[in-house]
Amino acid sequence: MTSALAAPRPQDLTPAGRHPATVLATLVGRRAVRSGASWGLAFGLFIVVQTSAYTSQYKSQAGRDGLARAYGTNLGLNALLGQARAINTVAGWAEWRFIGILTILGSVWGLLTATRLLRGEEDAGRFDLLLAGQTTRGRAAVQAMAGLGAGLVAMFTAVAVGTIIAGSRASVGLRLGQCLALSAALISSPAIFLAIGALCSQLAGTRRRAAAIGGALFGVAYAIRMVADTSASVHWLIWLSPLGWIEQSRPLTGHDLSPLLLVLALTMAAAGAACWLAHRRDVGAAVLAGPDASAPHVRLLGSPIGLAIRLTGSAVAGWLFAVTGFAVVIGTTAEPATTDKNGSSGIEQALSRLGGHGSPVADYLGLTILVIALIVALIAASQVSAIRGEEADGHLEALLVRPVRRRSWFAGRAALSILVLVVAGVVGGIGTWAGAATQHAPISLGSLIAAGLNVVPPALLLLGLGTLTYGVWPRKTTVVVYGYLAWSLLIELAGGLIKMSHWLLDTSVFFHMTPAPAADPNWASAAILTGLGLAGTVLGGLCFHQRDLQNA
Amino acid sequence: MAVPAIRTEGLSKRYGASAALCELDLEVEPGEVVGYLGPNGAGKTTTIRLLLGLARPTAGRAEIFGLDCQRQAVAAHRRLAYVPAEANLWPSLTGEETLHLLGRVQGRVDLAYREELTGRFDLDPARKVRAYSKGNRQKLLLIAALITRAELLVLDEPTGGLDPLMEQAFRHSVREARDRGQTVFLSSHILSEVEALCDRVAILRGGRLAEFGTLAQLRHLSALSVEATFTGTPPDLAGVPGVIRVVVDGCRVHLQLQGSIAPLIEALAGTGLQGLLSREPSLEELFLAHYGTADHLDRDRVPASASAGDGDRP
Repeated sequence: MTSALAAPRPQDLTPAGRHPATVLATLVGRRAVRSGASWGLAFGLFIVVQTSAYTSQYKSQAGRDGLARAYGTNLGLNALLGQARAINTVAGWAEWRFIGILTILGSVWGLLTATRLLRGEEDAGRFDLLLAGQTTRGRAAVQAMAGLGAGLVAMFTAVAVGTIIAGSRASVGLRLGQCLALSAALISSPAIFLAIGALCSQLAGTRRRAAAIGGALFGVAYAIRMVADTSASVHWLIWLSPLGWIEQSRPLTGHDLSPLLLVLALTMAAAGAACWLAHRRDVGAAVLAGPDASAPHVRLLGSPIGLAIRLTGSAVAGWLFAVTGFAVVIGTTAEPATTDKNGSSGIEQALSRLGGHGSPVADYLGLTILVIALIVALIAASQVSAIRGEEADGHLEALLVRPVRRRSWFAGRAALSILVLVVAGVVGGIGTWAGAATQHAPISLGSLIAAGLNVVPPALLLLGLGTLTYGVWPRKTTVVVYGYLAWSLLIELAGGLIKMSHWLLDTSVFFHMTPAPAADPNWASAAILTGLGLAGTVLGGLCFHQRDLQNA
Repeated sequence: MAVPAIRTEGLSKRYGASAALCELDLEVEPGEVVGYLGPNGAGKTTTIRLLLGLARPTAGRAEIFGLDCQRQAVAAHRRLAYVPAEANLWPSLTGEETLHLLGRVQGRVDLAYREELTGRFDLDPARKVRAYSKGNRQKLLLIAALITRAELLVLDEPTGGLDPLMEQAFRHSVREARDRGQTVFLSSHILSEVEALCDRVAILRGGRLAEFGTLAQLRHLSALSVEATFTGTPPDLAGVPGVIRVVVDGCRVHLQLQGSIAPLIEALAGTGLQGLLSREPSLEELFLAHYGTADHLDRDRVPASASAGDGDRP
């Protein structure tokens, strides 16, 4: 006979690690710290390299004054990166440059990190496992926010190191306090969008939708800041945008960091709201979820391409809305911006490097349409990501075990993506014209549609790179396509003001795009980009046909 | 002679240094229900992915009704329906929309049977997939496959999330399919399900086909479980030809017997035998015997896979 086994006493068991209540914070924190430190190091390196390039290329005050004359009055750049102040000094130049560029990239990092680590983990069902441990929904949310906070601290540390290294050089001469203030300003947008990403993760039912809501909020904030920086009469709008608060903090040239208190307040409010909602809602549910049942709508559900339209339609509509919105804003601000100041000669000088020869309005639009180019490129990246997502989520398998050819499925998705990009380009051109027309700006519809189409080839190249990666190395598709897009944007924004080696500039997909309508589109260059993109797509399709399906 | 529903020749798949499937030769006749068994990682799902053309073989080939699974995948897919183990469907579609989509992609469906199955499986098709439980998503996939009336049903652990009532509905549906002449290739860990439904059973071990035959054939290859009760001290039966694993428990002896029972009967004559019970091994016992895990689970009941005379004594 066997005796009944005695239940082990708690003191007989070996502790599995630290306090169970910190497991989620540690898990989220570890991934956030790794990501935050990597991005922070990249930001820090960017600051060191760019500062060094500025001081070596503009050694004399006369040279710096020339730079300020050329770019300080460049309204297109002011709209893209924020108002330039005192850029004939290292401090003024660094403040304008780094806040303008790194605020955009930092916002994207914050949004993607928060939605990936919160809603993404919840989507995958892994949060269920952790919530079955010694915690509650509310406490788990607080832990997750603490983990994200750790990632932000890691980013701040890395950025501060880069800023201090750059600032300690004799030719730069920034004090430690200034370096830390600049670092704080630079991690402000990541902080805000980490919190907004966390909040969106409570509102939306899927990671993609959470990122889309957050992206729309970023778009609105950026558009307001952009409008505010194009005309003195509407500069008060800057206080309606969190990105404007960061710009207004002027950590190196001003003496008042109080706008950063608004950043802190918004971050805390969004984080608090995220924790409150997480505590109140069911795990896996969403505040903005639609009904769980509905009457069938089968009109598009007759083929894989119809299914793709049904599944991606709302996202594409959102993107086209964003393109239209930004295009109208850019077009509307063109005329007031270029008549507001008497510095159009500076713009023309700046654009002469790129072959610009148009009117001030055309010159302004030639630079600001980079925003439309970026959004169209983001659409390309999101299309590739959606194609990969179908396979990663196992949905593609449900189609390919039926009489559906791999080639026709892939060709359909690729053709749909190309169509969306072309439509986005045309809509961008028409929207810009519509905006400009409201202000009676002297520019034709034809030239702006051409300018809109001019932004499509870079997006097609990105689509080709993404689909090629998808065919060969599917699990790295999203990383490659978004990574290359971020790289291209960095090079494009950095390379315009600091002379870079030509081969480095060549690596940016945007560098090969002429600044239409300031200059005539270079259709030969556009044809090469389009050809490379299509070749990549075809090759990607062939590789996809030959390989095994790979779930996430 | 009819073209086999499934035929593989030397079908192999490697993932880097690891061999998932090794030289599989398998032939499934039209109209039969074949169970496909093996422990986790034995290569069952790999086989199915190769049959469906979702993965490329490292060597060998596979055919569905004579159609090459790689080069003629679309033609092969017209004649089969598949239910995966993981129910990954589009969360934003309702059940009805999903059935409509999958039916349209397949080409033809039996609409009347769809209504019948929706009732049999007690599924609310108006609900969105994201609101379904795991079991309901699995039912949706089963219905989507069955309503195609495909000649071949490839089912990869299709009842993982089903409750016992739905399990019965599933068995009923598979029997219906067999009665209509459809072929069923059923990969499952539920051995009672395979035992109840399948005409033949294939057992995989380490990526290789270990056994393939009817249950009767497999039982013939395995040992008979015998329990003998004596009026006094039991005789020593360990040396009897075919007898293995002798366990003595007072006046009772449990043993396994491989081959003819005649030597055992001779040995029992004049030994004070009071009662004799024998039974064939269940599929579970056969399965466990093939994987050598019997000792961990039930030392007395399960025959060893070793040859006769290799039995151990307590």
